[in-house]
Amino acid sequence: MKKTILSTLAATAIMATSAMAHFQMVYTPNMALEKGKTIEFKHVFTHPFADEHTMDMGKQHDSKNFAPVEEFYVINKEKKKDLKSTLKDITFKGHHNSGHAYTSKYKARRMGDHVFVMVPAPYYEANEDIYIQQITKTIINVAGTPTDWDAELGLKAEIVPLTKPYAIWEHGSFTGIVKSNGKIVPYAEIEVEYINRDVNMKTNSMGASRFEAPQDSFVTMGIKANKDGEFTFSIPKAGFWGFCALGAGSDKEYKGKELSQDAVIWIEAKPMK
Amino acid sequence: MIKKVVLSLAIASSSLFAHTAIMSCFDNGDGTITCEGGFSDGSSASGVKFRIEQKGKAIFNAKMSEDSEVTFNKPSGSYNAVFDAGEGHQVFIKGSDITE
Repeated sequence: MKKTILSTLAATAIMATSAMAHFQMVYTPNMALEKGKTIEFKHVFTHPFADEHTMDMGKQHDSKNFAPVEEFYVINKEKKKDLKSTLKDITFKGHHNSGHAYTSKYKARRMGDHVFVMVPAPYYEANEDIYIQQITKTIINVAGTPTDWDAELGLKAEIVPLTKPYAIWEHGSFTGIVKSNGKIVPYAEIEVEYINRDVNMKTNSMGASRFEAPQDSFVTMGIKANKDGEFTFSIPKAGFWGFCALGAGSDKEYKGKELSQDAVIWIEAKPMK
Repeated sequence: MIKKVVLSLAIASSSLFAHTAIMSCFDNGDGTITCEGGFSDGSSASGVKFRIEQKGKAIFNAKMSEDSEVTFNKPSGSYNAVFDAGEGHQVFIKGSDITE
């Protein structure tokens, strides 16, 4: 019995490690717009701090073709608009390799919050023989009126923000609740990473790294939610920070293989200058 | 009774005045402009006064709709769109700054 518990723990540990440090980016250079304008996104599946490997979005174990994005939409003033047709395939160049990614444009002219939700196809992680699907939220705001940022969308895996993700000063903090289909996920395991490079929107590539991590645990920071699925993280530096609740989603299998269905949310902290 | 009403009015006005008035306008590309109004706490601007000024005179007066917005024909020449939620809570946007 003891052995079973131990081996279960070991398996859990291996599973958690396997899905580590991957982040689905839904990136646009400014999350708090002074006024409405057309904005551009890069949708890249990468390791945003170390930039050690750029994954091919939609990679499958049984086909050379990439599976298409399942859903991409925006919600503004409670109105949902499908944006899947705006996605264009690109090859995004990371520091070590290039990967299949997407670019898209969106006319963010209405005031308030625009909540973008990306549900990519599960990605086959060959090293671990598992699939990873990161349901990702990026929230931008036009002109400063809050409208939809705190909406709970009932996603299979979701981080519901309690702090406006686009209105955080450097050295401020971010609080969120991990949920799955509207139910809290107690003690959820959360990874936190900083986009440690400039994203070149023109050349679809990552720039030079900004900061060195003193040790591996600073590259991908692991935190846990409390019993209510809630967590808070202090933001040490201005820029973009990603939060990923590992395996929070209700789907556990894809194409007969284990699936880690994660919830990702992005925030941007602004410097005081 | 009167005291109670006065008190609740005072609270209502102080909570309104703690927020910043916000307006954002865009050109619909069909000869009309839409302006959206709001407050920094997300409260509705429905019923708030709105006007277009040209050479210091109001040439168009309206109130923000249920959706906190107003659509009007684009005036020729320079103009200002004014969101008027009371003293200290007015937002002016120059017509030349309103783009698609």
